[in-house]
Amino acid sequence: MPSAFRLDNVTRRYGALRAVDGVSFEIKKGEQVALIGPSGSGKTTLIRLLNSMLSPDEGSIRVFDSDLATCDAGALRRLRTTLATIPQHLGLVPNLTAIQNVILGQGGSRGTLRSLRDLLAPSRADAVEIHTILDRVGIEEKLYTRVARLSGGQQQRVAIARAIFQHPAALLADEPVSSVDPARARDTVKLLCELSAEHGFTLCVSLHDLALAREFFPRLIGMRKGRIVFDGAPDELGEEDQQALYDLSDEEMMADA
Amino acid sequence: MKAETGKYGLKRWVGLGLIVAFLLCARALGLTPGGLIPPDAGHWERTGEFFAAALDPAFDYEDGNVPDDADPIWWKGIKGVFLTLKFAFGAMSLAVPTALVLGFLGSSAWWPEPCGRRTRVLLRSVYLVSRLFMSVIRSIHELIWALLFLSAMGVSPLAGMIALALPFSGTLGKVFSEIIDEEARDAAQALKAIGHGPVQTFLVGILPRATPNLVSYSFYRFECALRSSAVLGFVGIETIGLYIELSHEEFYYREVWTYLYLLIAMIVVVDLWGAAIRRRLHTSTGGCAI
Repeated sequence: MPSAFRLDNVTRRYGALRAVDGVSFEIKKGEQVALIGPSGSGKTTLIRLLNSMLSPDEGSIRVFDSDLATCDAGALRRLRTTLATIPQHLGLVPNLTAIQNVILGQGGSRGTLRSLRDLLAPSRADAVEIHTILDRVGIEEKLYTRVARLSGGQQQRVAIARAIFQHPAALLADEPVSSVDPARARDTVKLLCELSAEHGFTLCVSLHDLALAREFFPRLIGMRKGRIVFDGAPDELGEEDQQALYDLSDEEMMADA
Repeated sequence: MKAETGKYGLKRWVGLGLIVAFLLCARALGLTPGGLIPPDAGHWERTGEFFAAALDPAFDYEDGNVPDDADPIWWKGIKGVFLTLKFAFGAMSLAVPTALVLGFLGSSAWWPEPCGRRTRVLLRSVYLVSRLFMSVIRSIHELIWALLFLSAMGVSPLAGMIALALPFSGTLGKVFSEIIDEEARDAAQALKAIGHGPVQTFLVGILPRATPNLVSYSFYRFECALRSSAVLGFVGIETIGLYIELSHEEFYYREVWTYLYLLIAMIVVVDLWGAAIRRRLHTSTGGCAI
């Protein structure tokens, strides 16, 4: 199966800190992968490297056969139009309506003037498609509601709808369920996996909750201190791996206290 | 424990330093509590007259030489209030678009990511130049700008309007750039991550995201512009300040109070209106988890 993401010995530093440290892996097209690990393990940096918002200090990243190091600004933008990203804080515009936020999903490929027109007067075809997507994610009645007036869970659905409307080849989500209750978190992760299967896009989600990751994803990549400490199927994740991932050393426990 | 003592010790020294600085300034300026008391009987009388007039504002001109067909004083005052409003509105109409451009150039939330070295140097230069320009134009008070423009262009409404608009563009632009950088970064990043260009990110993401706060701050500055516009009357531009100045020069204190009450009424109305709009904008974006 062709590759969606391929990382070779990638390192990204913030000052002296190696947020991502010599990471190598490959994600095939259509694969569903959960990035797991404690806070500060480098998951967000890795997502930002995958969607080309950050450049690596060392190593190479290939996204759908494009080497990011050789892409100019225009090529990066074209590539990003095929990569949907749901950031941790969703990145919605609260004083725009749900339909206006979702329509911005295709702004990258449509350009500035078309995006402005879309915001002011969405075409009928777009409105119909967005209505269908919002229906699929369960908030079709909120089409013309301002996002600020929606609950946290509904805002999350709008962010997912924006990603789906983008017709992406891959969807990257950074801790998409960190701010919702466990029941809603489960529904959201399930929905993301179902949508990935329905639309055929590659899915890479960073998750705090190991149980959720084990339940829904056929492959887990575990990170700790910027390094990969586990890469495999959920049933291969043993006690030792979990300890390596989540157990705090004496030194870290002292620092946390 | 030691660190806390050190922190409070530092605060005590800073407090003491400020008191000493105040006393030194007061001494250098020759300030004494006696300076608050009028120096002679004539000044006492005039002060008394001025404050007594507050209870008895004029409903007719105190000047006996005003022609019979002149507007009644209350109508002249209302016209003065509207002239003041017109100046403030005109100045803000120039200042807000200028500040938007300056705020865009003086912010970094819309910069491409990752930003190449050459692009970063170019954008950083534009950023610094626009910040410097905003600092320069707002560091000169509107009264000084007015004097400069009046000497260059003569007493014209346009000169007054530009004199107000310049420092207001600087202040608005600086705050706009901060609102853009601090509040809209999350939306900007999300759009850049899905292929939106820098200008597109600004127009469809940052601007709508920041609009409530931009509007709210613009309203506050409009209230400031009203007060400044009245003050421009003191350098000869026809606003209610000019009427206040002319009546004050002739010691027509009751007329002064009529104009002052009209000015205060207008500012209170605009303040209430601004507060209502700010409240509405706050409610419309309130409770948002974003």
